[in-house]
Amino acid sequence: MTEIAVGQDLPEQVKHPTTRQLVQYAGAQGDFYEIHYDQDYARSVGLPGVILHGLLKAAFLGQLVTDWLGDRGRLISFEVSYRGVDMPDHPYRCRGRVSKVDGDDVELEVWGEDDAGKRTTVGTAKVRMGVD
Amino acid sequence: MSTATSVIDRLRARIGIDGEPVTATVEAGHVRRFVEAIGDPNPRWRKEAPPTFLVAVAPVATHLAEAEEYGKGWLNGGNRFEYMVPVMIGDEITARGHIADVYEKEGGSGNLLFIIFETDYTNQRGDLVARVRGTMIRR
Repeated sequence: MTEIAVGQDLPEQVKHPTTRQLVQYAGAQGDFYEIHYDQDYARSVGLPGVILHGLLKAAFLGQLVTDWLGDRGRLISFEVSYRGVDMPDHPYRCRGRVSKVDGDDVELEVWGEDDAGKRTTVGTAKVRMGVD
Repeated sequence: MSTATSVIDRLRARIGIDGEPVTATVEAGHVRRFVEAIGDPNPRWRKEAPPTFLVAVAPVATHLAEAEEYGKGWLNGGNRFEYMVPVMIGDEITARGHIADVYEKEGGSGNLLFIIFETDYTNQRGDLVARVRGTMIRR
């Protein structure tokens, strides 16, 4: 494994969420808010249709970080902001890059892009290398 | 704005006051269903909970009935996770959550109500394993 340096990109991951996955996630998380599976309800509150759970997008970005990290270290903190809604049946591209290295402490900038390239989720993760 | 003001006042009165704690075991089957739902096949999650799993153990942002008097829908503004101790399958986790802040902001198409929830998760040994903050928005 090469040395970790500021500016390095994390291997990107593209997710292909479906309404089926939103239902699966609603059940697994226990979040049954109708905007994630009921088209009529979603439209009645001014949305274009059912949308992805913010926390599902957070889970995608968590996977981006833990896959890159492997067993080289541990996640210390993880923060995401949801800047836009995302719809199922559109690819969701998860990307990240190393933004700071201070000894064993590494900071990552992470984000999720919709199919128009808009960053609808942005966040940061802090990891500590060399600990289980 | 009288309805909005009274909703905000009632929510503000709860800032810092923990709700009923929720205790649950981190079950292998639940973690498996969760990682299948997010599409993360990492074998590490056969023993350990993945980064966002704690929100499934106990709700971090209970949809407060009284906040629903404001606006017509909820949006999730963001989440922050701080990790102190790994959460392993079999752990018994207790979640204690409270409202940390409530404020109103002017948005592009009307006012928005922001409710910040904070939840502390402890394990069966009493160790604080994680702190999760959620920003829920009424619009």
